[in-house]
This record gives sequence, C-alpha cells and structure tokens, in this order.
Amino acid sequence: MDSGMVSGIVTIIFIVVFIGIVWWAFSKGNKQRFEDAGKLPFDEDDKPAQQGDKQ
Amino acid sequence: MEATTYNYKVVRQFAIMTVVWGIVGMLVGVILATQLIWPDLTFGIEWLSYGRLRPLHTNAVIFAFGGSAMFAVSYYIVQRTCQVRLWGEKLAAFTFWGWTAVIVLAAITLPLGYTSSKEYAELEWPIDLLITVVWVAYALVFFGTIIKRKVKHIYVSNWFFGAYILVIALLHIVNSAELPVTMTKSYSAYAGVQDAMVQWWYGHNAVGFFLTTAFLGMMYYFIPKQAGRPIYSYRLSVVHFWSLNFIYMWAGPHHLQYTALPDWAQSLGMVFSLMLLAPSWGGMMNGIMTLSGAWHKLRTDPILKFLVTALSFYGMSTFEGPMMSIKTVNALSHYTEWTVGHVHSGALGWVAMITIGSMYYLIPRLFGRESMYSTRLIEWHFWLSTIGVVLYIASMWIAGVAQGLMWRASNADGTLTYSFAQVLNTMYPFYGIRLLGGVLFFGGMLMMAWNVWKTVKIGRVVNDAPIPQAVHA
Repeated sequence: MDSGMVSGIVTIIFIVVFIGIVWWAFSKGNKQRFEDAGKLPFDEDDKPAQQGDKQ
Repeated sequence: MEATTYNYKVVRQFAIMTVVWGIVGMLVGVILATQLIWPDLTFGIEWLSYGRLRPLHTNAVIFAFGGSAMFAVSYYIVQRTCQVRLWGEKLAAFTFWGWTAVIVLAAITLPLGYTSSKEYAELEWPIDLLITVVWVAYALVFFGTIIKRKVKHIYVSNWFFGAYILVIALLHIVNSAELPVTMTKSYSAYAGVQDAMVQWWYGHNAVGFFLTTAFLGMMYYFIPKQAGRPIYSYRLSVVHFWSLNFIYMWAGPHHLQYTALPDWAQSLGMVFSLMLLAPSWGGMMNGIMTLSGAWHKLRTDPILKFLVTALSFYGMSTFEGPMMSIKTVNALSHYTEWTVGHVHSGALGWVAMITIGSMYYLIPRLFGRESMYSTRLIEWHFWLSTIGVVLYIASMWIAGVAQGLMWRASNADGTLTYSFAQVLNTMYPFYGIRLLGGVLFFGGMLMMAWNVWKTVKIGRVVNDAPIPQAVHA
C-alpha cells in the first residue's frame, strides 16, 4: 500500500469521525442531555458569601 | 467529613498575581517598544538589552499573566460547575508556589542570558523540570476534581481546560527534550529541520492550546454568566471542541513556509490553518450569539464589553492567521511587523481582554462583594485598552506590509531597491504609534490594579463560599 492510499484511508476515517461527532452532538436523543449541561453554570447560587473571614 | 465550601484561597492568589504579572509583562513590552525607537535607552547594560528582555516579555505575558489567569479560572470553574471542593488541597497550594517560582526563576535567568534559544521555551533544563512537576500536580488537582464531581455532566469549559492541560504537558515534554551540559546549558535532542519542526509544532500549539483552547474555556463560562443566559448552542460547543483541538495540532508547519521543511509539510500546515477558520468562527459566533436578546446589556456593562470585544478580536485574528498561512501571503508577511501585529491582535485583543473581563467578574466574588470598587474605572479601562490595541495592530499592519514590499522590491538589474537601513527608517513613525498603543493598554492595567486594590481593601477574604447542597444526587 503506497502512501497516497494510506493518506486517502486516513482522510476518510477522519471525515467519518467528524460526521459522527456532529451527528452525536445534534441527534434528538442527546438534546436534553446537552441542554442540561449548558445550564450547569446557573445551577448554583453565586451571590457573594455572606460570612467571610475578616482580613 | 465532606467539605461544604469551595477552595477560594488558591483562586484568589492566582487572580491577584494575574494582575501583578500582567503589569510586569506589559511594562517590559513597553520598554521593548521604546528600545526599538531609542536603542540606547538602557545605556548598553547587557541585562536590559533587547535580546534578553524580549523572551522575558513573552514569557511574562504568556506564562505568568496568562498562566496565572488560567490557573485561577480553571480552579474556580471546575469547582463551581462540578459542585465539589478542589481535590488535593496541598497539591493545589503547591501549584501556586511552584508556578510562581518558575516565573521568578525566568525573571532572573532570562536577563542573565541563560536560554535554550527555543522561542516560548527559552527556560533552561532545571526550570523545565520544575514546570513538568508543577504541571503534573495541576493535572492531578484538575482531573481529581472532575472525578469527584457531584453533577452528572462535565461542563464544556472543563473539556477545554482538560484538553489544554493534557496538550501542554505533551508539548512541553516533547519540545524540552534536551541534553544538559552544565546546570545552565543544554542542547536540544533534535537537530536541523526536525528541531525546527518540533519547535514550531510546540510554538504554534502554545498559541493554540495555551492561548486559545484554555481561554475559550474561560469564555464559555464567563460570557453566559455575565450575560445571564446559557451559551447560545451547547451542541455547537461540542463540535467546536473536537474540531478545533483536532485541527490545531497540525497547523505548526505554517511557521516554516519557504524553509528547508519539505514542501508537502508546508502545504499541510497551510491547509490545516485554513481549515481552522471554521471551528474558530463557530466558537466566536456561539459566544457572541449568547447575547441575542440581551444586546442592551452591552451598552451599560463594561465587563460584557470586554468579553464581547475580546471575541471580536478573536474573530479578527483567527481570520488573519489562516490568511497569513497561505504561502503567497506568507512570502510577504513573514519576518515583518505584520506578524507582530497579528500576535498582539490575538494576545492583547483576545487573551488579555477576555482575561481582564473575567477578572472583573471574578475578583469581587473572591472578596465577598457584589461588584468591583468602581464600574466607571472599568469603563475607562475598556476604552483605553480598545484604542490601545487598535493603534497597535493598525500601525503594525501598515509597517509590516510596507516592510515586506520594500524588502522584495528590486531594480531592473536584480539588485535590491532599498537597503535594510532605509526600510528601518520607514518604520520609525509606526514604531511610535505602536508605543502609544502599548502605553495606553499598559495604562489601563494600572487602572485595573488600583481598582482591584480598592476592591480588596473594602472587601473581605471569602474562604467559605458554600457548595450548593440541594443538587446532590
């Protein structure tokens, strides 16, 4: 197998992996999961702490 | 007993040092810009010569300023989005003192002239070893915290931080492979064009993973927080993550266009650099679109202005970069001031501005306050920095293109039209404008230092920000 063949195969593998990632990210089944993850920064109380050590 | 509070101490230490190192690094930058206009500025003292201060400037702004900022925000974000206290209390403290020791050692050895002469990796082998130890400790603390998280998902910022930590470890170990001769001198394990390729695989990914991936993690947390709404498309951020990190790895050869590097490798670097445009702009749009429906906040909130302007500069420099990697453009731009302008559009416009915005969000929270001491000063800082960057990059664009055209101009008999000194002479006005831009940006940092100082004085050290208990599974 010459190097042109190898690069062709590698290119196809990477394209398939990329399409797979896009499909996985945008598939219906994963919608909820990613929406939940996106809300993570807001699942908390970020008001300044009421007690603190005096300097 | 299970911890009920977050570890803010190490975050606070790194956050304060971010401001300190920012000022130090940018001051050295201003001195260098002045030296280019008045070469005798430092009276010929060898420790302060341009060649010795230049690596000090790059190391200080990238690894001291940028590095401290990354430690601070990654420790803060990983705790808050995993809802657990940082793993490895002592190890986290060690990363602070260890990293600070690396910076101090750099500040001593570089002016003394100890250098491995690899750009952005100038530090000699004993310091390289210390960096490795600190970085492994950093990885343990970060991934240890991810492992013990209380929430199901790993927030996208943490994915970016994780990639950054792993890749920087890989880059540092491979590029710093060297043969020590004495305590202060070593030689690279590689030779010739292989050495150059390893160096620029490292060098470009230092930009890609240290200054981009890591700071995108920062963007994915602080823009949603400051805008008060989740990221525009979390699913796009997933595609952004994998494609950006995959493509960046291969773009290094564009630093070696028209060198001894084989042609196919040069073209490969160019093609991957062009492909980088897609994930870069995808990420930029994702950040900017997060503001849709909240655009009015941009009018009144200078922190948001910093964050969004940072993204705009990110978009500009990630468009410019791929263009400059095209061989025919590179033939004009390489080795000119254009490159310097491009770097600073990324470093000042993107990295520094996203960091400054994030610090203005973070610092009051670490000191038990709702906001910074003065919002007006933040507004002033914003305008000084923006005008500073614009002056800087516009002058360097013009200077760079002029320089490239003058260098390549030839007469009918094949001789060069301009001597090197003639080209240098043309640069003076632009060096002046660049210095002005740099001084403005530096002045903004001094304002920030004052604002932080006042905030810390009237605030109090928060060691007990509570971890939310309700969400525990």
